Amino acid sequence: MVTFEIDGQQVQVEEGEPIIKGAEKLGIKIPTLCHCEWLEPYGACRVCTVEVVMGKRHRMVTACNYPAREGLRVLTQSERAVAARRMVLEMQLARCSTVPIIQELAREHGIEKSRFGEGTETCIMCGLCVRICSELVGAHALCFGQRGTERFISTPFQREGEEGPCIACGACVDVCPTGHIWMEDLSARKGQPQDFYLGPKSAIAIPTQQAVPKAPRIDPDACIYLQTRGCSICQQVCEPEAVDLSQHDEEFEIEVGQILTTTGFQLFDPRKMSQYGYGRLDNVLTSLEFEMMLNSTGPTGGKVLMKNGQVPRAIGILHCIGSRDENHHAYCSRVCCMYAMKFAHLVKDRSDAEVYQFYIDMEAYGKGYHEFYSRILAEDVNVIRGKAAEVTEQMWGDEAEGVLHIRCEDTLVGKFRDIPVDMVVLCCAIEPQSDLGNMAHILGLTRSPDGFLLERHPKLDPIGTNTDGIYIAGTCQGPKDIPDTVAQAQAAAARILALIAKGKVLIDPIKASIDAEHCSGCRMCNSLCPYQAITFDEEEEVSVVNDTLCKGCGTCVAACPSGAIRGAGFTDNQILAELEGILI
Amino acid sequence: MAVKRLHLMVCAGTGCVSNKSMEVKAALETEIEKHGLAAEVDVIPTGCNGFCGVGPILLVQPDGIFYQQLRPRDIPHLVEEHLLKGRPVQRHLYTPPGEKGTIPLMSDIPFFHAQVLIALRNRGMIDPEKIEDYIAREGYQAAAKALTTMSPQEVLDVVKASGLRGRGGGGFPTGIKWESTKRAPSENGTRWVICNADEGDPGAFMDRSIIEGDPHSVLEGMIIGAYAIGATRGFIYVRQEYPLALKRFMIALNQARESGLLGEDILGTGFSFDIEVHRGAGAFVCGESTALMASLEGNVGEPRAKYIHTVERGLWNMPSCLNNVETWANVPPIILHGAEWFTQLGTGDVSENPWGGSKGTKVFSLAGKINNTGLVEVPMGITLREIVFDIGGGIANGKRLKSVQTGGPSGGCLPEELLDLEVDFDTLTAAGSMMGSGGMLVMDEDDCMVDFARFYIDFLMAESCGKCTPCREGLRNMNMILQRICDGKGQEGDIELLEEISACMIDAALCALGTSAPNPVLSTIKYFREEYEEHIREGKCRAGVCKALITYKVDADKCSGCTLCARACPVNAITGETKKLHVIDPNVCDRCGACYDACTFDAIIRV
Repeated sequence: MVTFEIDGQQVQVEEGEPIIKGAEKLGIKIPTLCHCEWLEPYGACRVCTVEVVMGKRHRMVTACNYPAREGLRVLTQSERAVAARRMVLEMQLARCSTVPIIQELAREHGIEKSRFGEGTETCIMCGLCVRICSELVGAHALCFGQRGTERFISTPFQREGEEGPCIACGACVDVCPTGHIWMEDLSARKGQPQDFYLGPKSAIAIPTQQAVPKAPRIDPDACIYLQTRGCSICQQVCEPEAVDLSQHDEEFEIEVGQILTTTGFQLFDPRKMSQYGYGRLDNVLTSLEFEMMLNSTGPTGGKVLMKNGQVPRAIGILHCIGSRDENHHAYCSRVCCMYAMKFAHLVKDRSDAEVYQFYIDMEAYGKGYHEFYSRILAEDVNVIRGKAAEVTEQMWGDEAEGVLHIRCEDTLVGKFRDIPVDMVVLCCAIEPQSDLGNMAHILGLTRSPDGFLLERHPKLDPIGTNTDGIYIAGTCQGPKDIPDTVAQAQAAAARILALIAKGKVLIDPIKASIDAEHCSGCRMCNSLCPYQAITFDEEEEVSVVNDTLCKGCGTCVAACPSGAIRGAGFTDNQILAELEGILI
Repeated sequence: MAVKRLHLMVCAGTGCVSNKSMEVKAALETEIEKHGLAAEVDVIPTGCNGFCGVGPILLVQPDGIFYQQLRPRDIPHLVEEHLLKGRPVQRHLYTPPGEKGTIPLMSDIPFFHAQVLIALRNRGMIDPEKIEDYIAREGYQAAAKALTTMSPQEVLDVVKASGLRGRGGGGFPTGIKWESTKRAPSENGTRWVICNADEGDPGAFMDRSIIEGDPHSVLEGMIIGAYAIGATRGFIYVRQEYPLALKRFMIALNQARESGLLGEDILGTGFSFDIEVHRGAGAFVCGESTALMASLEGNVGEPRAKYIHTVERGLWNMPSCLNNVETWANVPPIILHGAEWFTQLGTGDVSENPWGGSKGTKVFSLAGKINNTGLVEVPMGITLREIVFDIGGGIANGKRLKSVQTGGPSGGCLPEELLDLEVDFDTLTAAGSMMGSGGMLVMDEDDCMVDFARFYIDFLMAESCGKCTPCREGLRNMNMILQRICDGKGQEGDIELLEEISACMIDAALCALGTSAPNPVLSTIKYFREEYEEHIREGKCRAGVCKALITYKVDADKCSGCTLCARACPVNAITGETKKLHVIDPNVCDRCGACYDACTFDAIIRV
């Protein structure tokens, strides 16, 4: 630690730290334009020029990078320091007469108008953008061009857009004190993954207030460190050292006896139905996004707000987006009608907005469900029978403000209708996870034509699968609501526990067995077995049957080109003997 | 080696080469061959002799006969007369300006007579591309002495005791710099020595001449320095615009490596050291130490704050000792002859305080309105008058001296009253100028001091890196104000405004370029304030340089109507018939002065 004096007050800082650190501690304001805590001191703007006295020697230095020394006396308001600072600011004002931060600093120093003219440049050459991009972000996408009075901020070789190394993190925009740098396309901003008001605002954030575990998560697409190995500020500032950017994905192998598959669903991507304008029009949301918004711990605190922050005057809820549609999914997603009614109820509860429901059939068949339907009708929710045809952006009457129009055929009235709303919610279909096929392949499961996992028997065994010990529950099996999912999952858990409690399994005596002497190791049987019961022994170079999994179906026996597989109780001799018995 | 009767030393410095000295050399060789003199006479290209104004130069050794301004067609006669008949050719010998008699011997010519050669000790004496020539002139003896008989500390002590100060301009005591580099903590023991050969001052060519004429002296100095400091690698930062210097450095480096004077285990002492050459891309600011190092590292050549000195954290954050070409070239003689020998020359006393005086010699490049343009090495403490009038031969065309500018663009202008100033680091700084790297520009009454200041501010504005506000904006605004003064639009208070900007730059600019940039303005205001005031108040430029403030007229009494002026005028502003009075149309005239120069009757008047 070194002790020194600023304007007569003693202060201590770590050795090597600049004067400005001490000034911060004392609350003495030394103006700067190019200083940033996270960057190496640059000393370019010279606004922080102060006078230092060491013994008899007086010297003018910049506070941002002059290392404090024991016994140093710093004068921030000496005549020389103020004169130098005033002249620097006056010259900056001559260059950038329209920049507020310069105007303000100049005014603080008693300069209203520069004697050197009134330039309209907006870049003050502080270099913050260039330095943050190189030092912190590591993208090296900005640099200075030319030199001297011709100097300007540029991209390398003045290449821009896709060609350049810019990763669109927006760090330069954040540090630029004058607004000289801006982002043309905010949606391209990777550092703030969704400029839309839903979702986290930075690359590291607690995803939602109710997140479990309640810890920040790093978005690898937005994290500068993971993109360029720059930044790593989160790691530097975390005092308990909880952020470890060197961590990477790991694979674990766990041996288990039974598997319960509950991989859930994914929402139908409404961009495929461009007539509804999702992703193109503001304020067209998916049901999941609207659900997040309605959540009291969500990004808007439960308020229904449009992108511009205003409360919508009318909301349209469109049912069956991707469901009951020959072009996409023929099935009914089962849950949409009920949650759409919930949306309507909550919107009515929280705002004065009109709500329109556009439905094909109102599916309200569970316990207490139809009563809820009656209740929202009583709440003056407009229900229109007819699937919405398209959503367009038009002007609403005389008011010059962009609103959305929903066109549909009201089949009960037998009329085409065009309903103006401020916000549209699309009740997208529940569809199988896009990688469910892989999953099914790994576990040896089959899938129904709609893509969901197939149960062993729709009525007698809706939990089990063709493979013993593997069970399914929830929406990976098919669209279902929460009560159904819970019921199915509990049943599966009970089944698993029963087997664990028993400690052993009874297996059928009818099995296939492979004669290692004759097996050629062709592995044809491996892929044919519907129960994944045959594996290949790499060491012996023969296929081996897992007795517990084998159901004795005989597929492999018939297929084996070497005739090395025998079905217990169904050997060739036995079958021939049976045939002989029948024929004779 | 056969002993030759005569050695013809042809100057192969850049000045002489551009005046066809290589063709002179070829002509000499042809003639010598023709007369069958090849066995007796040798033709040797040498480095710059310094007397560039009278090039191409031929020195006949061992007699020391000095020929000047030779053309290839003069050679047959010269060879016949001098080499065959032994009669020096009178018309090619040097004649001092304003005199009639010739001076045949180089040592008798005043330009050379008053010089003391240390850094330029081998000039005109050796072929710079032959290490043998250098070795024959005591070359590498100092390195051998240091490496084999002295400890690094002893070498350091000698350099410290010699009082040698940085010749690049700063005048920092070299010994102290070496010592700080040696003492600076370095994690893996890495230390660098660097040679600054980025000579950028307009009109300065000291470093260039040393490198082109005697590259080994720089290498030897660096070897000795590296040994004293404990560096294992050196860098030479030479500007791209010096192709010949670069070439000679490369040749010298290869020769030194082949001779075991660079590389592993030098002279069998176990000391290893090698040098790399880096070409600068031609930025004036890269002569500044931190910018030079940034450029060496491959970054943009921009200075950084030197609150932590480069001797502690320089190139790649390692302790780095940067010295100028001339400084390195001074080291071998100091080691060879001792500190006492060196301190006999110069001013002050450096035995207690290394800043107490300036020892040894300094190389200056004389340029401007002076008779003997060229390179001179003079002892510290010599007066400006001696340099300008004795060595430089006085002002050209019998004009009156107005000012001497020293130190390049960042230096200042000294008036005639200060001609008796003893030249050393401290007196020049005290007078508002600086030693700089040794540029010396002489101005006469035809030079306008305001225009001169504007010229240098223009140069600096183009060469400033633009990083810090005071330098970038200060130069821009000073340029704006000076321009308007030159344009006759100066306002009351402009001089004070210039002074105010200057004060800010001196106090707040980041590097030495910025803090010294106001020197041309401040020194001209200090010594020639009345010229500024004339420009502003009377709209008058006494030197007739500022075009906006002058008009050309025809003196009706003197004009003979010869039409010479009308033909010289590039914009056809002059009308008049033969043998009748000519008239200049002031609206068309662009004040180039061509008519003024063309008129043989002094009939054109500048008002």
